[in-house]
Amino acid sequence: MWETLIIQPMVNLLLWIYDVLGHGPQMFGLAIILFTIIIRLITWPLNASQVKGAQAMQELQNDKDWQAIQKKYAKDREKLAQEQMRVYKEKGINPLASCLPTVIQFPIIIGLYQSIIRAMAVTPLDMLNLARSIYPFQHVTNIIPLNSSFLWMDLGRPEGIPLPFDISFLPNGFPLLAIIVALTTYVQTKLTMPATPPNPEDKASAQTAAMTGGMAVYMPLMLGWFALNFASGIAVYFIVSNLLGIVQYAATGRANWHNLLPGKKKTAATKK
Amino acid sequence: MNIRKAIPILLLAFGSLALSACSGRAGIVNTWAGLSADGERAYLASGSHVYAADAQTGKEVWRYPAETDNNLIFFANPAISDDGQLIIGSEGNNHKLVSLDPQTGKENWANPFTAAKGKWVAAPLIYDGTIYAPNSDGYLYFLDLKGVPVADPIKLGGSLWSTPATDGTHLYVASLDHNLHIVDIASKKSVGVVDLGGAATSSPVVGEGGVYVGSFSANVEEILPNGDHKILATASNWIWGTPALENGVLYYADIGGSLYALDLASGKQLWSDVKPDGAVVANPLVADGAIYFVTESGTILALDSDASTRWSKESGGKIYTTPVLSNGTILVAPYQADFALAAYDADGKQIWTFAPAK
Repeated sequence: MWETLIIQPMVNLLLWIYDVLGHGPQMFGLAIILFTIIIRLITWPLNASQVKGAQAMQELQNDKDWQAIQKKYAKDREKLAQEQMRVYKEKGINPLASCLPTVIQFPIIIGLYQSIIRAMAVTPLDMLNLARSIYPFQHVTNIIPLNSSFLWMDLGRPEGIPLPFDISFLPNGFPLLAIIVALTTYVQTKLTMPATPPNPEDKASAQTAAMTGGMAVYMPLMLGWFALNFASGIAVYFIVSNLLGIVQYAATGRANWHNLLPGKKKTAATKK
Repeated sequence: MNIRKAIPILLLAFGSLALSACSGRAGIVNTWAGLSADGERAYLASGSHVYAADAQTGKEVWRYPAETDNNLIFFANPAISDDGQLIIGSEGNNHKLVSLDPQTGKENWANPFTAAKGKWVAAPLIYDGTIYAPNSDGYLYFLDLKGVPVADPIKLGGSLWSTPATDGTHLYVASLDHNLHIVDIASKKSVGVVDLGGAATSSPVVGEGGVYVGSFSANVEEILPNGDHKILATASNWIWGTPALENGVLYYADIGGSLYALDLASGKQLWSDVKPDGAVVANPLVADGAIYFVTESGTILALDSDASTRWSKESGGKIYTTPVLSNGTILVAPYQADFALAAYDADGKQIWTFAPAK
């Protein structure tokens, strides 16, 4: 089912874009970029819903009624939970609205990644699996294997700019793309962090803030590590996806650009 | 640890695992093994090691390297030279081509060849004291039997996933760039290119009338040394494996699972609608009058020249690796099975299996 519903449609879309673009050098990189944009547009409502849900939860932290119940029932967790549910209901907030889209998107991200790996077919078995993924109506024998050269990269191999000297932990050279991946991931994560510090009396809010703070460190490191070690086509996907995420969040007017500067105090968002 | 703090770490760990697993770089090579054999041993290139197993008993004789080296991953067929060297390239980070002593598994060359920039998928051709090594970086490398380059490599294009064939004057090198490249052995220069209409993972086979090759275009073509070529037949799907030529009949298969026998003199298909049970990627093997095909479904099929079944066995895994012959036994290397290698006699009786010890 995963193969039929996620991988096959994505692989065929990727191949179709590549074919339409003219399937020459550079075109697979462009196909990945267009493919990422299309997938981002399709999942735009999900992302928007996530952003909206996160904003509603953020605003709730400053709500007087909310703060009052945090204080009043600080030692009675059961009652606190009941009261929180009442407030959610009164204000029409779904507490899952911010995380459910993420959960739904996770398989899409994994599928996207698998599709790119599948399309690049770097081993014989990958190539055989690619052959199986192609819809009968797609006449793409003439474009396989895909030309994986893009700018200075081979999209099927880890990226690196050759250095005049050897560094053992950088076998592929200077990892420019991995650094860009880490930076854009950091920017995207930081922009979406709450504009205001958590209410110290609201333990849940403080824990959520700690969790988000952790993500701002782990995510860039993890994705940067992936970009360093895996096919550079994936790094291109990460960068485009991150940039689109930044644009989408900035378009809501909630982007907290001050968060990007280390040591800056958290301030109100640019627009409310 | 607070559960909320643990969530991002768990998510990241799951993400890493999922991405690693689907990229095929989580420590397990995501393709099938390479296999070759002489009268004494079978040589299996599978993941981190090349294994030598006794051809009579299936017992492990040696493995290379003795300890796992993360920079080495093997799946190309090992090539055996007339002077008793086992030559194999690695898919790993340093793209090493090594020569091993078939008896001990020790390295023969003072230095392995590491100038290639891509992985080694195909076995090299060893002919008249020279190693012709095709690499996935698109170059054909020329080495002597000590691993020293004897000429500048030539860029043929695409990725080279198949062993070159030779008629003694020319080399015929199929490429994923949809072309068959003709190289003059004396000058070591490319002298011709033939458009096959699709990527070619199979080696050409040299016959009396010319060179025969299949490709993803589904065509079987005949090519002459001057580059003239014609389509002899068209299969119903991509042709992956190298055709086998025996008594003027070309045996081949496609990944749709159809088997073919083309009579080269008359141009007629001798078999019709022979389709066992799954994709055929491996080359057919002709031995003792039988034609052996192995399928992705794990079936080993021994056919007579009229397509009647001599015997058929289930291996218990998927079979993509081309079977090889050793002292009358058929060696088969299934993928994702309980064992990595099995030997069958001419009647299809399993003689032994080999599973590498952890």
